[in-house]
Amino acid sequence: MRKFTTVAASAAVVALLATACSGGGEDPADGDGDKPTQATSNERSDKVLTVGMPNGEASANQNPIAPGAGSTSFGYAYAIYESLMQVNEIKPNDPPTPWLAEKIEWNDDYTEAVITPRAGVKWSDGEDFTADDIAYSLQIRKDNDELNPDFPGQYGDITTDGSTVTVGFTSGQYVNAVKLYKLLIVPKHIWENEDPVTYTADDMIGTGPFTLKSFTPQSVTLVPNDSYWGEKPLVGELRYDAFKDNPGLTTALTSGEAQWGWVFIPDFENTFIAQDPDHFNQVAGGGFGVDVLYLNNEEKPFNDVAFRKALNMVVDRADISATAGYGVWPQIKSVTGLPQPSGDDFIMDEYKGQELSVDVDGAKQVLTDAGYTWDGDALVDPDGEKVSFTLTNPQGWTDYLDALAIIGEGAKALGADAKVEPVVQDTWFNQVINLGDFDASLHWTDGGSTPWNLYSNIMDGASYVPQGEPANWNFGRYQDDEVTAALADFKSATSDADRMAALGTVQKHFVEDVPGLVIWSRPAVAQYSTVNYTGFPTAEDPYANPQPTGPQAALILTKLKPTAD
Amino acid sequence: MRFFVRRTIFYVITFWAAMTINFFIPRVMPGDPVTALIAANQGKISPDAIEAITKLFGLDENTTLWQQYVNYWTQLFHGNLGISFSGREPVVDILARSLPWTIGLVGIATIISFTIGTLAGVAIGWRRGTRADILLPISTFFSTVPYFWLALVVIALFAVRLGWFPASGSYNRSMVPNLSWEFAGSVIYYGTLPALTIIITSVSGWILGMRNMMVTVSSDDYVTVAQAKGLPERKVMFGYAARNAILPQLSSFALSLGFIVGGTLVMETVFSYQGIGYQLLKATAAKDYPLMQGCFLVITVAVLLANVIADFAYGVLDPRTRQEG
Repeated sequence: MRKFTTVAASAAVVALLATACSGGGEDPADGDGDKPTQATSNERSDKVLTVGMPNGEASANQNPIAPGAGSTSFGYAYAIYESLMQVNEIKPNDPPTPWLAEKIEWNDDYTEAVITPRAGVKWSDGEDFTADDIAYSLQIRKDNDELNPDFPGQYGDITTDGSTVTVGFTSGQYVNAVKLYKLLIVPKHIWENEDPVTYTADDMIGTGPFTLKSFTPQSVTLVPNDSYWGEKPLVGELRYDAFKDNPGLTTALTSGEAQWGWVFIPDFENTFIAQDPDHFNQVAGGGFGVDVLYLNNEEKPFNDVAFRKALNMVVDRADISATAGYGVWPQIKSVTGLPQPSGDDFIMDEYKGQELSVDVDGAKQVLTDAGYTWDGDALVDPDGEKVSFTLTNPQGWTDYLDALAIIGEGAKALGADAKVEPVVQDTWFNQVINLGDFDASLHWTDGGSTPWNLYSNIMDGASYVPQGEPANWNFGRYQDDEVTAALADFKSATSDADRMAALGTVQKHFVEDVPGLVIWSRPAVAQYSTVNYTGFPTAEDPYANPQPTGPQAALILTKLKPTAD
Repeated sequence: MRFFVRRTIFYVITFWAAMTINFFIPRVMPGDPVTALIAANQGKISPDAIEAITKLFGLDENTTLWQQYVNYWTQLFHGNLGISFSGREPVVDILARSLPWTIGLVGIATIISFTIGTLAGVAIGWRRGTRADILLPISTFFSTVPYFWLALVVIALFAVRLGWFPASGSYNRSMVPNLSWEFAGSVIYYGTLPALTIIITSVSGWILGMRNMMVTVSSDDYVTVAQAKGLPERKVMFGYAARNAILPQLSSFALSLGFIVGGTLVMETVFSYQGIGYQLLKATAAKDYPLMQGCFLVITVAVLLANVIADFAYGVLDPRTRQEG
């Protein structure tokens, strides 16, 4: 989901800029393959690498573990504090790369993890990093609900014997293991004297490759940490600039003022890459994040599986991805709704190679078989009522609304009367999507490291609440006991074979029952320029999520090399 | 004396009413800060985190509206405006670092605009019917052009096409703010375009007001007498005519000072200037009640103070306003 609450004024600035500097006119590069290889140096460069995020001013509160904290949404916290493991979202089946933890061993049902800390790591104030720091960082999350968005109410006992940390969970965490890997670790010797919820951590003592040099709300400067345990960073100075909104950052990226960041750039190939095709890149990471058209399974017309199926057959996903998503969000091809390549290993044999396609005649056949008729052009359901429904999403979420319009056109090809109706964002959040008071509406899903989140978010009976009561997921109110049991099995299974069997059941129901339509995948995307530094994740070597705002930033920053010229 | 006491009581009541409205407005606005944060994070925060965030913002406590209202006043008297939701730093700190930028830029621009406008008004009013009158329709044209459109044109021309000035920001971000000529230069360089647009759009009001007063005053007897005495033209213009014509200008200047704080939201948005208007916009988008209240408080107090100054200054300058029925 992307939000476009930018003032019309700022949007117009970019339009002006775009026309003013669209001199190049040559075709944008088709991929990264034809970019020249750059000579690199192994000496530290004093050039500044400027990172930008469109989040407005930074706030003078450097607490990195409070949800929504400024230092994490800007990203500089991830160059200073590090996570237990590095996870590559594009290859979810690869084992995680040890980082602050040398290894993490789970018991069979994933209710207990034994964490072995890396030896020889020091905090940037010179103190040793120990198992106590890990235990403490977990304990404060357990003790303070405010700091615990990842495992609410699910921590069990947290103990340490000095060399390892054992953390228990009240339920199996197979699908959430990656959340544990990504937790940032903070120094106990500093934090234990403070209230971890209100502590502002202005000094930012961490283990990461960089340390804080200066902070202003407009710009945060970091310099390399000379006592860093890993590969010493070759980036001489890192600057995180505050950009007020999307157009502001787009301008900075296209002019080269910022060299790494993430902002949705409509028509990015002409607006961004064409400005400097040799150096400018936009790369998508992997993961299981998708946007879903939730269908209200409890009300007409979507309470009839035949109509859901028929709609699924007339939605032009290629057009949605290219037009509404400006080619930024990759098209979903598999009938299982799984993004590829991340999901390749999770597609059941029976669905391998089966792709979604537009088939109006086939859809009409499905409807005819189910007893639908046509009155002229208008579709009439078996009860004799004309089929009509409303597609709704918040005003200003232009990509969603454009996608809805394309879906509506597909429905009209069937003879259904589909209207797109934008609502106020607050109303949508608080009275529409969560209460199930809609016919069809787009919403995102949690990413996760397995397809579990995607399917659970759409069709898990465990999240089912009756219409009119606020739901956290399963907004379409789909209910099938077999699916609910299989999703629970997947979480608690102790072998891969059991998990795949459970997933097979879920996937079969997803394909046959069509509880919702996955319209595109929404991987982590980032823009960067290789003018000064190179070594970012590329399409050929997607070694990490390419965004600067995640624990992977520490990994990427140690891989960057100065360009020689 | 009774005049001043009555005015004081009036302002105390106005202040109380403004502060009370300030308390209730954010609370009756639709939406809540938790979903606003989730929306702003583009799906990176799962709805499962709602509970944690609600607690972090302190919104889980069940206090009555009356209790909140009492707390609000207690905090106000302690100079404590609460902690901003989105940044989790004290609202007072955010206001303290934003206010100087707004007051500095818009204040200076207003003073420049007032000075230029008043002087031009004196000149045009004194020699009415000459070619200088052409200034009036031109400046009025610029004041009626929508501000954001003018600002965009100025950015497109001077920042993008000619590259003379930066398009956004309030100083070169690679600098750490300090008391040096280099930094001051950067602030002036970045402030030029925003200040210029404010002056262009506001100067016509000053010209028009001053010119019309000059026209009225210059036909008064004491001006004719001064001219008959053979005093130099400049002396008559400034010492006799302008001196009396400026009274209403001064009171509207005092009033416009009050709007400096609140009236620049569009400028700060278009130029990404880090002032109080930008903070208010950000707070509204994030449903950040404490920050919103803080911004409203500053704006209300500024307008009230300006009114007080204008009111009392006029009372001192013009005895007629003090007379009781």
